[in-house]
Amino acid sequence: MSDHPRFDLEELRALIRLAAEADIEELEVQGAHVKVRIKKARHAGPAGHGGEAPRPDAAATPGAGGTAVQEHRYTPIVAPMVGTFYRAAKPDAAPFVNEGDMIEAGQIVCVLEAMKLFNEIPSEVAGRIVSILAENGAPVEYGQPLFLVDPSPAA
Amino acid sequence: MFNKVLIANRGEIAVRVIRACRDLGIRTAAVYSEADRDALHVRLADEAFCIGPPAARDSYLHIPNIIATAELLGADAIHPGYGFLAENPHFAEICQDCKITFIGPPPEAIHKMGDKAAARQMMRKAGIPVVPGSPGPVRDEAAALAVARTTGYPLLIKAAAGGGGRGMRVVQSPADLRGAFAAAGQEAAAAFGSAELYIEKYLTEPRHIEVQILADGRGNVVAIGERDCSIQRRHQKLLEESPAVGLSPRLRRALLRAAVRAATVVGYVNAGTVEFLVEGTNHLYFIEMNTRIQVEHPVTEMVTNIDLVKEQIKIAAGERLSLPREIEAHGHAIECRINAEDPARDFLPSPGQITAFIPPGGPGIRVETHAFTGYTIPPYYDSLIAKVIAWGRDRDEAIARMRRALGEFDIGGIQTTIPFHLQVLDNAFFRKGEVYVNFVQRRIDLGPAGRPRSA
Repeated sequence: MSDHPRFDLEELRALIRLAAEADIEELEVQGAHVKVRIKKARHAGPAGHGGEAPRPDAAATPGAGGTAVQEHRYTPIVAPMVGTFYRAAKPDAAPFVNEGDMIEAGQIVCVLEAMKLFNEIPSEVAGRIVSILAENGAPVEYGQPLFLVDPSPAA
Repeated sequence: MFNKVLIANRGEIAVRVIRACRDLGIRTAAVYSEADRDALHVRLADEAFCIGPPAARDSYLHIPNIIATAELLGADAIHPGYGFLAENPHFAEICQDCKITFIGPPPEAIHKMGDKAAARQMMRKAGIPVVPGSPGPVRDEAAALAVARTTGYPLLIKAAAGGGGRGMRVVQSPADLRGAFAAAGQEAAAAFGSAELYIEKYLTEPRHIEVQILADGRGNVVAIGERDCSIQRRHQKLLEESPAVGLSPRLRRALLRAAVRAATVVGYVNAGTVEFLVEGTNHLYFIEMNTRIQVEHPVTEMVTNIDLVKEQIKIAAGERLSLPREIEAHGHAIECRINAEDPARDFLPSPGQITAFIPPGGPGIRVETHAFTGYTIPPYYDSLIAKVIAWGRDRDEAIARMRRALGEFDIGGIQTTIPFHLQVLDNAFFRKGEVYVNFVQRRIDLGPAGRPRSA
């Protein structure tokens, strides 16, 4: 199952652990469809970093415990249910969206088939589709990222 | 035989079912909630699929996501374990409609036994004794006296809306009935806003004894021995054993016969348990039938050498039972349920991370668990983290081995019910086999703060 072209939570956790343990400031990893940059947060206070002022962009994400996932430019659209992922309403129809398309919040991006029912899945975010993470016709589990959206062009 | 079984459950029972499938050469598919991503059943299964957020209603009880997963992964059968969807006739029916085998009884049997009052009526008609009592609310003293003639004395007056002992009276004789009936009615009206009262026979120190049955749907219904589950706290079983100590061969035969009859009457197929209250040396009363595999099934497995979960799967696959009609028990087995609860604080749940986990072993010891060092017990589900089963040639040896095992069992980071169990095992009355459903209340001193005294 690890041949999915995506980072799952486990891999991200492993990366954060790696970054936290290693004597580095920043870790950047690029996969086929996704880029992750992890920067160590700096704590004001008695850290051994010789009074260096905390950088404004390193404000830690709450609860990230010493490191923070920064540069999380892309927002995933995740499967809200278990089902078979289809990019188009019918086999011969055009896909709802392609990579590079601009989408609006609420726009249908795919269907998930479960128990003979086709459920249209809307996007919760507006932006540009950066990548499509699931194969057409593949089973997807609850919470699995299906698309990556770059919300910045819409902002 | 099945190609792939989906296990619609979590915790130790999911692990247990995966192991049975593996022994039978069947592939396994686990489902899990977001809170169980690191759970053992997810690791052990051939495949695992996330079906929803932590709340059970959105994951382990979410029928559409479970059925969809079974279809997507090509599972031809679903094992429901216990709890969650195991006794949901609607779920069993949907499986049937989707051409997925439900490893359990037919929906009709689940439904019939699920309505507890109707089930007791049905059993009474089939000639199986139930606790005698009034069929509905008792109107007045005259009606109460009439019911009393059928139940005999002592009897129990209970508030229909009741609970916690209020509106309850034990009555020893007809002379006492009049006053007690009026007093209970007043108390019930004051406490619950309803003066409606029921009457049933009061059982003196009854034991909870249940019978494991297997039925293959081809006319073979076999009783696989009994279990005594009298050691309970607030109706939650904590320690179970087989055989039931001190049971006469005649009463034992009567229990097994009644259980087979109960299963036959409802057209039961697969594994099930018929529960009875037993009073004295002669009287048995049907309470209910559990239409699933039970938590305490390993004690029966240990004394009979029958793998009940494997039998469930084989029956569901249409195989004929290949067991003798009379099954003999060898030795004695005891199970202790180790819950993440603090007996010193009124059994308050104690979720959190397990910092150390060294399970016991050695001769006669079996441990069923999904826990491990570093495992975090999620707060969303039940508190059972392990079952320790001890087998001995006789009850004394089983008790000795259980004490040894619980003494070895090292669980760090959370509180568990192990101290409580050690206290029961050391109790002189328990050792003599004097057990009944009020045993914990009567014989175990949980102290002013509910703290078990150290032995």
